[in-house]
Amino acid sequence: MTVESEAVLRPLPLGDEVSGAFWEAAKAGRLDIQRCRACRRWNHAPSLACPTCGSENLGYETVSGKGTLFTWCVLKEAPAPGFRDMLPLIVAIVELAEQPHLLLSTNIVGAREEELRLGMPLEVTFERVTEECALPQFRPAREAA
Amino acid sequence: MWAFRDRIAVAGIGYSPLTRRPERSLASLAVEAVDAALADAGLDRRALDGLATSPSMPRYGGAKGTVEGIDVVTPWALGERLGIHGHTRWTGSTNGMVTQAFMEAAMAIASGVCSHVVVYRALHVPPGSYINYENKYSVGPEQWLAPFGFSGPPSWAASVVKRYFEMFGYSRADFARYIVDNRANTCRNPNGFWRGKPLVADDYLNARMIADPMSILDCDIPVDGCAALLLTSTERARDLKQKPALLTGFAAGTHSAPTGVPMTLDDIWIGCEQVAARLWEATGLGPRDFDNAQLYDGFAPFVYLWLEGLGIVPRGEGLAFLRDGHGSLGGKLPVNTGGGALGEGRLHGMTQLSEAVIQVTDRGGERQVPGARRAIATISNGLTKATAFAISRDEGQ
Repeated sequence: MTVESEAVLRPLPLGDEVSGAFWEAAKAGRLDIQRCRACRRWNHAPSLACPTCGSENLGYETVSGKGTLFTWCVLKEAPAPGFRDMLPLIVAIVELAEQPHLLLSTNIVGAREEELRLGMPLEVTFERVTEECALPQFRPAREAA
Repeated sequence: MWAFRDRIAVAGIGYSPLTRRPERSLASLAVEAVDAALADAGLDRRALDGLATSPSMPRYGGAKGTVEGIDVVTPWALGERLGIHGHTRWTGSTNGMVTQAFMEAAMAIASGVCSHVVVYRALHVPPGSYINYENKYSVGPEQWLAPFGFSGPPSWAASVVKRYFEMFGYSRADFARYIVDNRANTCRNPNGFWRGKPLVADDYLNARMIADPMSILDCDIPVDGCAALLLTSTERARDLKQKPALLTGFAAGTHSAPTGVPMTLDDIWIGCEQVAARLWEATGLGPRDFDNAQLYDGFAPFVYLWLEGLGIVPRGEGLAFLRDGHGSLGGKLPVNTGGGALGEGRLHGMTQLSEAVIQVTDRGGERQVPGARRAIATISNGLTKATAFAISRDEGQ
């Protein structure tokens, strides 16, 4: 019987045909977002066809990792056992700099709840959860976005 | 305008007891609610030729509840239990909200397929928690949320409320009046789960936080139980036991939030506005034409977002409307007069529909809005699966 680390008792993402490249990039420390090769619109979560123009010609491109805080909430109770040492857990939506309403779910790290403001500049940082998985997290931007 | 405006009616309301973790099976509670709706109209099972619902259990994370009769009650199993299969002409089961089944039932009657349809919603409180992330992996849409702990609907609603508070300068204190008055409405509702348990503002301000700024008192109360509504033609309903409540029209929403994030404030506004525009088109009515509003409160903040999306107040002013008491009984537009899902119990919009029927048929007792002529009922959060209904007093006889 193996004893699993608490960190693993977080529901880790299992990439699929469409999302696999996102998680592979995160593992390599890059934030790659799906982009339509036809209309050039960014698209998240990735999909089989562009929600704007319908093209199936989609690929991934690396983004700046800059964004602003769209909204957040604070969890005082762990939503799964592996979050116990992350409380209070700040769960957030980030609006990426590349396009209005290009939204990504994440956690805010390196900031206290009281410091958070709508629209504050953020930057990506990668949390290595296991050897196979890194999550894109966001922290207050160190220089103006 | 809808061709069948005011020609379909709700003629009966039936409830099982709404409790938590009863000895009886969910199927047994559903049978009781259906029989009660028929009896309310002065009918019995022989008249029933249609049944419709959305049977699914809303569970997130680990084990899904799928056991027939315990976790869910499908119309096929319920029809068999009621012994009506010999004369049933249609059963409807939607993956959306039960209120979409209500729309389909109205269309089944309008088209002449059915004469009397019961729309019911049976919900079971599972052992443990509705939201239970015991999985090692998250897949599909959940892969974008669950790894960050963004895995439960209360946290999704909290992220909507936080943006709203930050944009307009509100805090939880502004919502206390609504919560307290809503509980007072519940205490006037014989079906209400929380009847006999009034609240004061401090109870709300000190309530346990589920996902800050959403507390346990911002969330509806999961119950075991069933509510059922009997639909028929207005013409037939006029010969039955109760005064009919007329279905003036309805609308459904098709706006989605972007995937990868849960519902957002901005998308909820757009969705509610879309549903409202469709309802005005179907009914010829507008936001000023209602004297009571039954607005979905699976998460209570949706109430003020619906007030805004329907155009009753501008964006950003819904919470002030409630803070100032305009949504309380005796206010400009009484809201959730029976206590909604927050007080009566989680019945996924049946609460809103049945209360609309109660108000326009003068059956509200201590919580009656005097002379109520027209109710609006909205269900869900304005995004895909959302519905809205205009329910009117029968003045046409």
